[in-house]
This record gives sequence, C-alpha cells and structure tokens, in this order.
Amino acid sequence: MTILWFLFKEGFKGLIRSKYSGVFSIFIITISIMIVGLGYVAARDTLFMVENIKAQFDVDIFIKQTAANDDIASFEKKLAQMEEIEHLGYISPEDAAVKFKKEFGEDIFDILDYNPLPPSFTIRLKPIYRNLISVEAIANILQSDPIVDEVKYRKNFLIILEKYQRIILFSVLGIFVVLTVISIALTSNSIKMTIFARRDIISTMKLIGATDLFVKTPFVIEGTLEGGIGALLASLIIYSFFYLQNTYLQSFFDYRVVVSYRFYIGLIVLGTFMGLVGSRRAVKKFLD
Amino acid sequence: MISFINVKCTFRKNAGVKKLNFSIDDGEFVFLTGPSGAGKSTLLRLIYMDLFPEKGKVLIRDYDSSSIKDRDIPLLRRKVGMIFQDYQLLKDRDVYQNVALALYASHYKTREIKSRVYSVLNQVGLGHRVHHKPTELSGGEQQRVAIARALVKEPIVLLADEPTGNLDPRVSVELINLLNKINKKGTAVIVATHNYSLIPRVPGARLIQMNEGEVTSIT
Repeated sequence: MTILWFLFKEGFKGLIRSKYSGVFSIFIITISIMIVGLGYVAARDTLFMVENIKAQFDVDIFIKQTAANDDIASFEKKLAQMEEIEHLGYISPEDAAVKFKKEFGEDIFDILDYNPLPPSFTIRLKPIYRNLISVEAIANILQSDPIVDEVKYRKNFLIILEKYQRIILFSVLGIFVVLTVISIALTSNSIKMTIFARRDIISTMKLIGATDLFVKTPFVIEGTLEGGIGALLASLIIYSFFYLQNTYLQSFFDYRVVVSYRFYIGLIVLGTFMGLVGSRRAVKKFLD
Repeated sequence: MISFINVKCTFRKNAGVKKLNFSIDDGEFVFLTGPSGAGKSTLLRLIYMDLFPEKGKVLIRDYDSSSIKDRDIPLLRRKVGMIFQDYQLLKDRDVYQNVALALYASHYKTREIKSRVYSVLNQVGLGHRVHHKPTELSGGEQQRVAIARALVKEPIVLLADEPTGNLDPRVSVELINLLNKINKKGTAVIVATHNYSLIPRVPGARLIQMNEGEVTSIT
C-alpha cells in the first residue's frame, strides 16, 4: 500500500510540477476530444437523417391488367409472408384513378374513356433491407412472378443516399482514428518534454535502485490524469455547447441535440486512454 | 566482495579502463586516484553496473556483470550507495523526501522509512535540516544529504566520485572524517578523488592509482 500510495502521490505532484507542459497536454486532449465528440454527434445525427429519408423509400409493384383477382390475392398473401417487408399496401385501379385525380387534377375517364391504371402494391422494407443490394435482389424476385408487370423504385436516389452515407461514415471513422493517433502522439511528446525537464529524477531514481516500473508509474499516472482532466474539460464544453443550442438556438436551427450521459462517460474514458497510452509510450522511449 | 577480473571497458573513444585485476574486501576504505581520464569514474560505474565490461567481469558479492539480468540491476544498486560531485539531489523536494526516496524505491513501509531517515540524518548531522530544500543548504550540507541517501539503504559499499570537488578544504576534511566514521561501522568506502591531501586523513586506507585506464599501483 505504501508504495502504491507513494506512486500515486508522485504522479499527482508531477502533474502540478509539470506546469506549462502539463497544461499543454491537457489543452491538446481537450481539443481532440471536443472534435471527436462533436464529430461523432454530427455524424450520428446526419446518418439518422439519412435513415429517416430511407424510411420514406417505397417499392411499387405494378400488376398486369390481365391478372385475375384470385392471382392478385394469392400474390398479396405471398408478399405478406415475406420477412423483408415491413408495410404492404394494395392500390386497386379505382384507387389509382382517385390518386391520379388528386395528383393531376383531372379525371382519367374524362381523358381516355377508360381506366388504364393497373392494380399495384406499395411495399416498405424493414430498415436492414433498405439498401441497394437488398432492394435489387427483392425487386428481381418479385419481377419474376408471372402476374407482375413492373417493379419500380428510385434506384438513383438510393445510390446517392448510400454514397453519402458511406462518405459520412468513413470520414467520421477516419477523423476519429487520425485524431486519436495525433492526440496520443502529441500527448506523448508533451509528456516527453515533461520527462526531459525532469530527467534528473529518473537518473537519480535509477541510481538509488528504483525499478523501471517504479520510475515509469508516476509519469504514467500523471499522463492518465492529464488525459482524464482534458476529456472532462472537453465534456463540459460540449455539454455547455449542446445546452446553448437546445435552450437558445433551437428555434433558429430547428435541431435538438440529444445525447445520454454514456456519451460523456465515453469521452472521458477515451481521453484517459489517450493520456495512458501517450505517457506509457513517452516513458518507454525515454527509459529505453 | 568486489572483484575485477581482466576487465576492459571502453564506452567512449579514449575513455575507459583496460586490464583491471584486483579485489576489494568487505569493510575496506579505498582511495582511487589519478589524473582526469584515468578511468576512476568508469571503474565506479562498472561497480554499480551503469557500464558493462567488453572483456572480463566484475563480481559484487553474488552479482556477476557477465550474467546479471536487467531486473536484478536495481537490486544490486540497493546494496551500493553512490555519492557524486554534483550531489544529484532533487531540488524540488526537501531533505527528508530526498533521503526517503531511496527507501520508497526499495518498497519499505512508511513507519520504517520515517525512523530510518531521521536516524541517518542525525548520523550525518542534519537532524535540524529535515524540511529544507537542497537550494537552502550549503555545498557541504548537500553532500551530507547525498551521503544520507546512500547510507539509508545500509549499503555494503559506498562509492564516492569526487565527493569533495565542489567543497572548500575545511568541509572536505569534515566529509572525509564522516566517511571514515561510516567505514568504521563496517561499510566499505571507495572514494575517487584528485585531492591527495585527504588520503593521510584515513590511516590504513588502500590507495589505487590509475592512469590511462590502467591500475598503475596498489598500496
């Protein structure tokens, strides 16, 4: 216990003794965690928006005019049993005519003297199937049914949506990885500066018979504390920022940020981890 | 206790030692003398295994420089006390903390650390300076703190590399008298020095003279 308490105290005192280099490490971690945190929320909400748009995505199945009612009923039954389908709607030729009048303002009977609109089904897929590969596969299966005339969906729209979804996802992942690596490197460098400034302690400790672990531990504790404090500051700033947005700016941007306490805990854990890895790396290099 | 067997060690161009063959027994007082670059500091560094021989080996009790594992070096250094010309004290800590550090590194309990530190500080005459920072002490007092830090571990040998280099003649004599007193209690002392006037202060001390990395005489 004596040794653990001593090493913890040394780490804590080291943080106070390091002054500017310690403040610099904390500053670097605060900035990095802020960018990672805000980037995460921005990406999450953008992806959520994309998912919402995809939720409006319907597939229309047009039935041949010649199809018998029994065949249409059994086809409907078949659709209802498909596990990929979340919602199914049938539009009879009469319903289609009503819809036509509503959309175009003219009665199809007045124009053509007959109703050429075929019966159709509109299906909405479950969220996991709302992607180009699944939609194409399902459309091909449906198209192969003899009573189906045509399966229509907005393919280009889906391609564009998926493209942006990928860009957002990879950008956020890339930013996250790059910032984490940069933060660890910067933290490690700033801790290296701290260690260099206090190299007399290391040489003295080694001379008096301290093990490498004994020499390293206070510096690692110091770096971990710096990481934790930096992340805590970043969390406070992000919290204030979201509070400001939700309280005063929501009416301007029509956007409300919702994050749980787990998000802030995650940020603090990430910052602490950065400090831990950065300081371990720095001390290891210095001792080797 | 300490044996140099056919030791050669060159750590920099034209700096090092060669063909060292001698032993130092328990409780001996040894002066190492010679001009700058003679190899005195290298010899001391070989004892606390900061340097390792290219040829031959150094034996310190059960520790053998040719086979010692990295993890055992701290254990050896806990048995070897070291004093330097520049004291190597930590300036941001007080006297007590500087001395106690050696015991924390050796995993002693707080109560024992306290009693040992106060005892050794009284022994070197610094009982009244416990909570002073090194910068508040004279050179002689700082060297006494360094001696206390080396002694607190109860080493088998005390190595002093030019311990009087920064001290005036009167304080230098006081310091040698203190080392002599420590030696009389059983701790071997090896002092590397240019200051020949100190040698007669320790009657019976061995004198090892070095030049260009070799021992030229042992008396």
